[in-house]
Amino acid sequence: MVMACRVINKRRHMGLQQLSSFAETGRTFLGPVKSSKFIIDEECHESVLISSTVRLLESLDLTSAVGQLLSEAVRAQNNTYRTGTSTLLFLVGAWSSAAEECLHMGVPVSLIVSVMSEGLNSCIEEVVSLEVPVHHVFDHIDNTKTFSGLETFSVSLGPFLQIPSDTGLMQKEHDLKDVAPQPLTIHNLSGRPVKSPQLFRPQAKVEADTNTSQTPQTLKNSLLADTCCRKSVLIHSRHLNRTDNSQQISKPDGFLEQHGAATPQAYRCNDLVELEVGLSHGDDSSMKLVEAAAQLQYQNARMQQGSCAMPFMFDISRIFTCCLPGLPESFSCVCPGYITVVSTSSTTLIKELQNQPIRVVLIEGDLTENYRHLGFNKSANIKTVLESMKLPQDSSEELWINRVLEILIKFNVNLILAQGNVSEHLIEKCTHSKRLVIGSVNGNVMQAFAEASGAVQVAYITQVDENCVGNGVCVTFWRSIPLDVVDTVDGMAIMLKTEGINLVTVVLTSPVTAHMQSKEDRFWTCASRLCYALKEQKVFLGGGAVEFLCLSHLQILAEQSLSKGNQACSGWLHNTSSWLASSLALYRPTVLQCLANGWHKYLSTLIYNTANYSSEFEASTFIQHHLQNAIDSGSPSSYILSEYSKLNSGIFNSGISNKLGQIPRVYDIVTPKIEAWRRALDLVLLVLQTDSEIITGLGHTEINSQVPEGFLFL
Amino acid sequence: MSRLEAKKPSLCKREPLTSERVRATLSVLKGIVTSCYGPSGRLKQLHNGLGGCVCTTSQSSALLANLSVTHPILKILTTAMQNHVSCFSDCGLFTAILCCNLIENVQRIGLTPTTVMKLNKHLLRLCISYLKSEVCGCRIPVDFSSTQILLCLVRSILTSKPACMLTRKEIDHVSALILRAFLLTIPENTEDHIILGKSIIVPLKGQRVIDSTVLPGILIEMSEVQFMKLLPVKKSGSLKVALFCASLSGDLSDTGEGTVVVSYGVSLENAVLDQLLNLGRQLVSDHVDLVMCQKVIHPSLKQFLSMHHVIAIDRVGVALMEPLSKVTGTRPIGSLGSVSPSTYGSVKDWCTAKFGFKHFFHLIPNEATVCSLLLCNRSDTAWDELKVTCQTALHVLQLTLKEPSVLLGGGCTETHLAAYIRHKTCNEPESILKDEGCTQTELQLITEAFCSALESLAGSLEHDGGEILTDLKYGHFWSIQADSPSIVNWSNLLSRCGCGLCNSQEELSWSFLRSTCHPFAPQTCLPHEAAGSANNLTLDCFTAKLNGLQVAVETANLILDLSYVIEDKN
Repeated sequence: MVMACRVINKRRHMGLQQLSSFAETGRTFLGPVKSSKFIIDEECHESVLISSTVRLLESLDLTSAVGQLLSEAVRAQNNTYRTGTSTLLFLVGAWSSAAEECLHMGVPVSLIVSVMSEGLNSCIEEVVSLEVPVHHVFDHIDNTKTFSGLETFSVSLGPFLQIPSDTGLMQKEHDLKDVAPQPLTIHNLSGRPVKSPQLFRPQAKVEADTNTSQTPQTLKNSLLADTCCRKSVLIHSRHLNRTDNSQQISKPDGFLEQHGAATPQAYRCNDLVELEVGLSHGDDSSMKLVEAAAQLQYQNARMQQGSCAMPFMFDISRIFTCCLPGLPESFSCVCPGYITVVSTSSTTLIKELQNQPIRVVLIEGDLTENYRHLGFNKSANIKTVLESMKLPQDSSEELWINRVLEILIKFNVNLILAQGNVSEHLIEKCTHSKRLVIGSVNGNVMQAFAEASGAVQVAYITQVDENCVGNGVCVTFWRSIPLDVVDTVDGMAIMLKTEGINLVTVVLTSPVTAHMQSKEDRFWTCASRLCYALKEQKVFLGGGAVEFLCLSHLQILAEQSLSKGNQACSGWLHNTSSWLASSLALYRPTVLQCLANGWHKYLSTLIYNTANYSSEFEASTFIQHHLQNAIDSGSPSSYILSEYSKLNSGIFNSGISNKLGQIPRVYDIVTPKIEAWRRALDLVLLVLQTDSEIITGLGHTEINSQVPEGFLFL
Repeated sequence: MSRLEAKKPSLCKREPLTSERVRATLSVLKGIVTSCYGPSGRLKQLHNGLGGCVCTTSQSSALLANLSVTHPILKILTTAMQNHVSCFSDCGLFTAILCCNLIENVQRIGLTPTTVMKLNKHLLRLCISYLKSEVCGCRIPVDFSSTQILLCLVRSILTSKPACMLTRKEIDHVSALILRAFLLTIPENTEDHIILGKSIIVPLKGQRVIDSTVLPGILIEMSEVQFMKLLPVKKSGSLKVALFCASLSGDLSDTGEGTVVVSYGVSLENAVLDQLLNLGRQLVSDHVDLVMCQKVIHPSLKQFLSMHHVIAIDRVGVALMEPLSKVTGTRPIGSLGSVSPSTYGSVKDWCTAKFGFKHFFHLIPNEATVCSLLLCNRSDTAWDELKVTCQTALHVLQLTLKEPSVLLGGGCTETHLAAYIRHKTCNEPESILKDEGCTQTELQLITEAFCSALESLAGSLEHDGGEILTDLKYGHFWSIQADSPSIVNWSNLLSRCGCGLCNSQEELSWSFLRSTCHPFAPQTCLPHEAAGSANNLTLDCFTAKLNGLQVAVETANLILDLSYVIEDKN
C-alpha cells in the first residue's frame, strides 16, 4: 500500500477553481424561471431532462474530492430542507471565485476565512429586519379567499411564471366546501372541466409541445428519459434555447418590483393565500396542490379535534405523491386518503369490494414465504430429510399460502398493505378469494392507516390477531378515467381511505413522462417551503430583498472599515493574539468587497434569469443603481421597505396595479435559506483551507501509470 | 498439491537515516503534520481516489488512522504517535512535529548517537522537572470552583480544529455543552474513589450546530414506526429493566460446522420462537417493565411483550451496552435459558423525544452519571471532525480532573521552555557535564538542537507568512507581520502573546525567535496579574503535552539510534 500526497494550492487554488466550474453548471436553475437541461450519455444515447440542482448533481460525474464534498453539501441541504439547493450551488461558485480573488490579492488564508465567516454572520443578523411574522393564517381560511386569488396573481406575475400563462386558466369561483373530506371528493385544481374526456388526448399533445418549448427532436429525447436509468454522466453542457426565456416573460420586473401592500414597518402575513402566493415563486401549479393538501389536512384536523383544541401543524410527512405519467396535466389533484396504481386484473375484485367497509392488515416487510425480519440470519447448514416415503402433497410455498389465507379468512380481512414485496402467487390466490393485496406501500401511508383504522403493523402474517386488524377501510376506483386514457397508464388507480385518516394523496400527472420527476420535485419544494414558513412562523420578504440587504450591508461595512480602521472589527478573529488581528483592518475591506461581489453576482443572475434583461451586465447595472440609492439613504433596510410601499402606490408598476389593485408579495423561508448560505460558505472555506490531498491505498502500479504530477509519496 | 518455494534472503540496510529516500519521506510526513498544526492550520483531504468518502481534517488521529506508511522508520514514528493519541487524545501533532524536528536538527550536528541520546534524555528530564515544579512559569493550576479555565481549555481545543467549521458563537455554544456533559459524568456523592460516568455522542447530521444539546441519561435511536407504537405507560416508582446482549431475533446463530439434519415437519425456527416466548412469559411473570436488546428482538416476542405492557427496545447497539448496564444496574443477559432475577436492574423513568428527523427513546436513570451529547453539524465531514474534537475535549477534561493543571497554549509553553533550557545549560552546565560525561561544545550543540526543535514547533503555528518573536522577560510567543518596518514600534504592532496572558503595553523587549540572543531566565507571568484577560486564554492539556514531549524525545532517540533495518522479504 502506498500513499500519495498532492499539494493542491501552490499558486492557483485548484479546489476553488473546481468548485466554481462545478457551480457554473447550475446557474440557470437560480430563480423562479428555471431552464431545464438535458443530460446526454454519449455512449448509450440516453438522456435525462432535469430542472433542479439536486438532479443535476446526481447526474454529474463528481468523482474528485472537491466534487464529492459539493454533492455532499447539496445532498445534506436537500435532505434536511428540500429547498435552497440552487442558492447553495450558486453561492458556492460565487464565493469560491471571491475567495480566489482574495488569494490573488495576497490576503492571508486565515483572514479570508475569518472575515468571510464573520461577514456572513453579520449579514444574517442584519436580515432579521426583513422577517415577516406569519400568524394565525388558518383563522380566515373558511370565509372569503379562494384559489382564484392565487390564480389571478400568478398570471399577472409574468416573470415568475414557469409555464406559459395560458395553461393556468382563470378560475372564477371555487367553493371551498368542496374541500371538506367527503368521500370521493375530487378537486380539479387547474380549473379545467372534467366532463368530456374526448377532449383530453389531443389537447394533451398540444400541451406537451407548448409546455416544454423544446424542438420536436429534443422532445423525443426527453421521452426517452423515462426508460433511462440515472447512469448518465454529464460531460459537456450546452444551453438550449437560452433566448427563449424572455419570450415567456410578459413583464420586465426587477426584484424590487414584485411587491406591494402595507406600510414599511407593519409587514405581517396573516393570510394563507397571500403566504402561498408569496412562497410559490412562480410555480403556481405546484403551490395550488400544496394549498389544497394543507386545506384538507386542516379540515381533517378540525374534524378530529372538534373545536380546534390544538394549533394546527402542516405535516408534510402525511402527504403522499402518486405519479401518473401519461395523463394530461388537468388530472392532477389532491384527495384525502391513499391513491395507488394496481394491476387492471383486479378490476372485478375492486368492484365487489366497493361500497362496504373492509378490514385491513398491515405488514411491515415483505409478504413472501422466505421473508424474515431484519436481523434474522438464516442458517445455511440445515438440511431437511424425509423419514417416511410419504411425499408432501404441496410445496412449502403452497402450504404457506394456505396458512396465510386461513388467517385472512379467520379474521375476515379483505385488504393487505405490505411495505415490501408481495409474492405473486399469493396475490393471485387472494384475488380469487376476494382479497386485495398491495405491496411497496410507503411507510408514512402505513402509519396513517394504522392510526385511522386501528390496525397494528406486524412483521409476519402469523402474528395477526384480532387486535392487529383495522376496520372501516373503503376501496374505490380513483375516478372513472375514460378507457382510452387508462391505456396510457400501466394499471389503474384506486383510492383507499378510512374515516378521519390523516393522509392526503397528491396525484401528479403529466403528459410528458420526462417531466414527471421534476414535477414531483417541484411539488415537494413548494410543500417544504410552506411547511417551514408555518413551522417557523416567519418568512423573509423575498424576491431578492434579503440578498440585496446583505449586499448593501457588506458594502457599508467595507466602507466603514476603510474609514474607521481597526476599531470596527475587534473580535472578528478566533485568534486575537496573532499578527493577523492587527492587520485585519488592512485586508477587511477587500475581503468584504469580494464577499459582496458574490451577492452582486447572485442578484444579477437572478434578475437576468427572471426578467427580460438581455444581458447580465444590464441586470448588474440595475442592481448597482439600487445599491447606490440604498447606501446613500443610510439605512438599506428602510430603503428596501420604502421601495416596497412605493410599489404599492403604483409608481413603478402602474401596468399591473391598475389591473389588480394589489400586487402580491414574494416571500422566502428563513432557516433553510440562511442554512444554504452557511453551507455554501462553509464548503468554500473548507476547500480554501485545504492545502493537500492525501490519497490512500493506491497500488504502486496505479500511480506509475497515472503519471503523477506533483505527487509526493510516503 | 504443495509447492516448495525458495526463501528470499532478508534485506539488511545500514544506517537507514542516511538514505535519501528516508529523508525525503520523513520530510513529506513532517510537511503534512506541520501544515496541519494550530488554529490556522491547513486541512487535508483524505480519500482513496476511487470515489470513497472524503475526510477533510487537520487532526492527528484522523490523519494517522488513514496514513499507510511503508518505511519502518516512519512506522516507528506513526505507531508512537498513535499510541500517544489513543491514550491522551490531544497533542498528537505536537508530538509528531517535535519528533521530526529533533531528528532533523540532530542529524545536522553529526554527533555520535550515544551522546545525543544521553543529552536528549537529560534535557527531557530538565523539562519535565521544570514543568512539574512549583516555580514553573507556564503552568496554571486549575480552580474547579470556576468554569473559566476549563471553558478556555475546551475552547482552545475547538478553535485549533478549523475543519469543524464553527463560528465564534458556535464554539461558545459547543464549549459550554462539552463542559456541561463532562460535569454530568461526575457522580454527586463522592467517597474515596470517583468513578466518572460517560458522555455518549449521539449523531444528528445536517442540523445546525446551535441545535446541539446535552441531556442527562441515554438516548436510544428508534424507527418512527416503533416510536409511534410506544404507549405512554406511566408507572409510579422505578421500572424494572432486563438487558440482553444475546440476539433475540429467533435465528439459529451457532449451529457450528457441519450440517444439521432435521426431519421433515420439524421447524427449528418455531422451536426457537417457542423458546423466546417462554422467555417472554418469564419476563412478564417477573414484572419486568422494560426489555432492551443489543441486537434484534423477534417481532412475535415484541408483540407478546407489548400485549403485556412491557416495552421492548431492540437494536440498541454494542456502544450503548456498557453505559446501559451501568446506569440500570443490570447484568447483560447472554442466553435464552431461564433468567436469574438478580440480573434485572431499574431505571427511574423514560420518555420519548424527537430531534431533527430522528426519534429517540430517552432513558432517565436513577443516579445519572451518563449523559448524551446530541451533536449537530451541517456536513458529514465537518460532523466527523467535530465528533473527534468533542471526544478529545471530554478526554482532556478528565485528564485535567486527575492532574489539575493546564499549560499555556498558543506556542508560549514551547518558547518559554526553550528559554528555560537555554538559560539552564548556559548558566549551570557543570552538573550535566559531570553526570553525562560530555564536553561543553557537545552540550551546547545538543541544547541548540533541542531548543530550536521546540521553537520551530511553536513557529509551526504560523501559516500565513508571519514572523515569530519572543519577549525577553517571560519567553512567550508573539507573532508579527513579515517584514515589519522597524524594531522601535514593535509594542504598537503587537497586542497579545500567543496564550493571551501578556499584553504588549507592558515594558517588554522582543527578539526574533530564531535569532541568537543572550540566554535569560524566563519569569512567570501569573494569571492573577492579568486577571482581566484571563477569560480568553489559549490553554493546553498538561498531562497530554507532558506525555507528548516524552514520547517525542524518546521516539526521536530510538530512530536516531537505529543502525540496521532488516527486512524479511518473504
